Amino acid sequence: MKRTLRNILLTLCAISLMAGLSWAETLKVGVQAPITGSYANEGQGIENGVRLLAAQVNAKGGVLGQQIEVIACDDQGTAMAAAICAKDLVNKGVKMVIGSYTSTCAEAAQKTYFNAGVLQTSDGTADSLTEKGYWTFLRNSFPNSAEAEFAAEYLVNVKKYQRIVVISDFSTYADGLANATEAAIKAKGGNVVSRDKIKADSQNFTPVLTNIKSKNPDAIFFAGYYSDGGQLRAQQVALGIKADFYGGDANDNPDFVKLAGSAAQGAFIINVPEPAALPTPIAKNFIADYQTKYGEMPPSIWGLMNIDGMRAIIHAYEQNGNFDNKKAVEYLQNMSAPLEGITGSIAFAKDGNRIGGAYVVKRIQADGSYANEYVQ
Amino acid sequence: MDIFLQQLANGLTIGSMFALVALGYTMVYGVMKLINFAHGDMVAASAFVGLTIYTQVMGQATSLLAVIVIFLLTALTMACVGVILERLAYRPLRNAPRLSAVVSALGASLVIQNGIMLVWGPRMRIFPELVPQVYWDFNGVVISMIQVIILVLSLVLMLALYLFVEKTRVGAAVRAASIDQDAARLMGINVNSIIALIFIIGSSLGAVGGLFIGLYYRGITFNMGWQYGLYAFIAAILGGIGNIPGAMIGGMLLGLFNAFIAGYVSSTWADAFTFILLILILIVRPTGILGERVAEKV
Amino acid sequence: MNNLNRFGLPVFILVMAVLPYTLNERWQAVAITFLVFSVVALSQDIVLGKSGMFNMGQALFFGMGAYTTAILNNHFGWPIVATIPLAILIPAIFGILLAGPIVHLRGDYLLVVTIGFNIVFVQVLQNNLGGVTGGPNGIFGLDSLKILGANLTSQIAVYYFAFVVLLLTLWVMSNLEKSKPGRALHYLREDQLAAESIGINTRVYKIFAFGLGAGIAGLAGTVFATQYAAVSPEAFDFIQSVLFFSIVLVGGSSIPGVMLGVFVMFVVPEIFREFATWRYFVFGFAMILAMILRPRGIVPATFGKIPKFLIKGGSHGA
Repeated sequence: MKRTLRNILLTLCAISLMAGLSWAETLKVGVQAPITGSYANEGQGIENGVRLLAAQVNAKGGVLGQQIEVIACDDQGTAMAAAICAKDLVNKGVKMVIGSYTSTCAEAAQKTYFNAGVLQTSDGTADSLTEKGYWTFLRNSFPNSAEAEFAAEYLVNVKKYQRIVVISDFSTYADGLANATEAAIKAKGGNVVSRDKIKADSQNFTPVLTNIKSKNPDAIFFAGYYSDGGQLRAQQVALGIKADFYGGDANDNPDFVKLAGSAAQGAFIINVPEPAALPTPIAKNFIADYQTKYGEMPPSIWGLMNIDGMRAIIHAYEQNGNFDNKKAVEYLQNMSAPLEGITGSIAFAKDGNRIGGAYVVKRIQADGSYANEYVQ
Repeated sequence: MDIFLQQLANGLTIGSMFALVALGYTMVYGVMKLINFAHGDMVAASAFVGLTIYTQVMGQATSLLAVIVIFLLTALTMACVGVILERLAYRPLRNAPRLSAVVSALGASLVIQNGIMLVWGPRMRIFPELVPQVYWDFNGVVISMIQVIILVLSLVLMLALYLFVEKTRVGAAVRAASIDQDAARLMGINVNSIIALIFIIGSSLGAVGGLFIGLYYRGITFNMGWQYGLYAFIAAILGGIGNIPGAMIGGMLLGLFNAFIAGYVSSTWADAFTFILLILILIVRPTGILGERVAEKV
Repeated sequence: MNNLNRFGLPVFILVMAVLPYTLNERWQAVAITFLVFSVVALSQDIVLGKSGMFNMGQALFFGMGAYTTAILNNHFGWPIVATIPLAILIPAIFGILLAGPIVHLRGDYLLVVTIGFNIVFVQVLQNNLGGVTGGPNGIFGLDSLKILGANLTSQIAVYYFAFVVLLLTLWVMSNLEKSKPGRALHYLREDQLAAESIGINTRVYKIFAFGLGAGIAGLAGTVFATQYAAVSPEAFDFIQSVLFFSIVLVGGSSIPGVMLGVFVMFVVPEIFREFATWRYFVFGFAMILAMILRPRGIVPATFGKIPKFLIKGGSHGA
């Protein structure tokens, strides 16, 4: 009896040793995301999605025979932690990094990945991300300038608002989107009566809103994140400001509706179509698998954009038959036909921007769900 | 004028929340000469405790009675936590060097803050809409029901505390203990009980403040305690630390100051201006507006 | 204790001198962090432990040094090494100017005012004053260390940069103990009234301590900025100041104590990565426990040099 037990144990040891040895041949994929902090909801969505895709790829035999090993680093949504994460992930030998959610964090990490030749794919929408000439950066979303152009066109020429207020926080993304939108509105002959900035996470926006109220706006465009946007909308309604509220893409998160509560109804969100509305089988399957594994919907489109970035890089490795990052980027920028992705077709321009992108304006209904108000 | 009155209403709402929390700081400081750094995190914890009581104990009931029960149960829970905190982290250091207790308080702050994160997770949690969104428009100045509730309830609680401290025998013992602990002990006052009582009152008021934050702003995060704690502590100093009416006035003034700076000067510089005001006051009049009521602990 | 001073320090220096070659890149980064934060904690010890002023804003001076280096390098193209003098001087001058009106404040008030300075500083950085601080993102992409034309990009170079700075700090601190200002600080910490009555200008020496601590912290900031090639406001938040404050008091205002505090706070969590979320929770408990068991710190200052505020209430504690 004892001997059997010992044999079993020895076998187990041997198996685990062999398993350990086979680890040496893995494709290391880094995740840099705000797993804690104000944007934890999104960060965890990115990590969950990457782990799901990795498990799916591994189940099919991995990439060119190598199993994917996911290494996650929490950048907390702050630039400094992002810089530290970047160093850490590079030191751990990752080939590519998925994330981060915020442009700030993606930007803070960019140079480190570039220096190390590690591919980085982020949903950060700040235009500055692709303006530095780092070949290692692939944007899996669409840049702010595209959204700003759409938002301005809609506010000025479709809805014909006369008194528009633009609000942002101080982050790279929000400030960039707000400035671009303000410029685009003015270029179209629109009237921006106030351009305000709020401090992210400060909760109390009533002093700023009170000032805005005195300017009698008919539309408010908020370019910040959902954690502030929901509270901003609630406080706007509480102050009796009748203007229509438009949240930029980063407000597209279930928490926006929860935070705004009954005030959410009637607010508008400008973004690319949300996950549930994605039509293709590939999207439906992935979202169904996500729900089975984690018991909830992906928090937003952003996590899925990042997954598409990861799928594109893996696809490039497989087509090239090697793990050369430089060649992978060249392949992605010169594809004859775009790759079919979860969030639509994927193709990259020479500067690392994703090509294409259509926006929609969504109205939040009484039950918190979206109704398409306007489709580009 | 509309804007001025609106900012006034905003400032008073925030100010009364600061004042409720400031009372916890000022009473503890009065008797123990200790900055209870954990108090802000206790306030944050009460919002989470309240949320859990709402979902788990009350079965998401939203009636007036249910809301009252949530307030009472949360205050009770936090009072217990406050007493335990004092017992474990502060009482053993009663006779130790001043700074040892400060470090212990910082440690307790880390424990509570990260305890919240471990129990409720790092994500922002969202408070239910327990107060109906009702607004009244007075010629352009909009006041919401939740603002009225916060203001009235805070004033009632503060008045009750003031009467308790000034007019009752136990209140006299609290005052005696904050003037001279040893003399109070010689007069037959059980200082340990007084300190426990102060933690019960301070934590309960803090709990009400935490629930107000949850009800008013709806989004609560595990690390929000520092922000409110710091502001409340400044309010306590503004009014004169150890001085109970001072904390109330200090809280209100700070709320108003913050609202007017954010409204008329710049919302992005509001924190900086608040601290510059604090620094100036401490340099010019270190004992606060109403004067501190603590004996120098030598 | 004497043995520790006689043999401990040389052995420590020897070990630290060869350490980077035994570590992989990740642990080299941790070791650099240890060195940099040790320097900041020691500079905090000059103000808090050696001079008895309740300063909870040391991250301000640390950050000011780091930003001085970052701004001069990024906006004006100065080499990193050339920024060092200003990265020491600017925080030191600010330390003196800020300390001037506040050093007479009673302990707790000084503590609150220094927190206030720290918060104002971070807000100034976030609001991108003068358009040079880079707002909430900070400044990225600093140059690497260049000495005599050699471009030292490796982490090992940064490690030795940090190591030299630490040695320098230790040298300054040991000289301080023996010097006139050191003795003056010692007296005024022991008994301010007595020190004043024998003619020591306590105000001048207190401001001196602030300036010295600020300068050293500023130098540490240069190393920090070089290590990450980046600076950003939240790295110098007042929460960081709170940590440095706690480290000095938990460690006990002695060189081994302070370094032990830094080790426990910044290196141990790296060893237990899986428990990262438990880090501050456990550290909080450790702070409470350490204070209850050893109210004067884990490795208190040697006898006769124990700061007055640490020995009050004599019979209690270790």
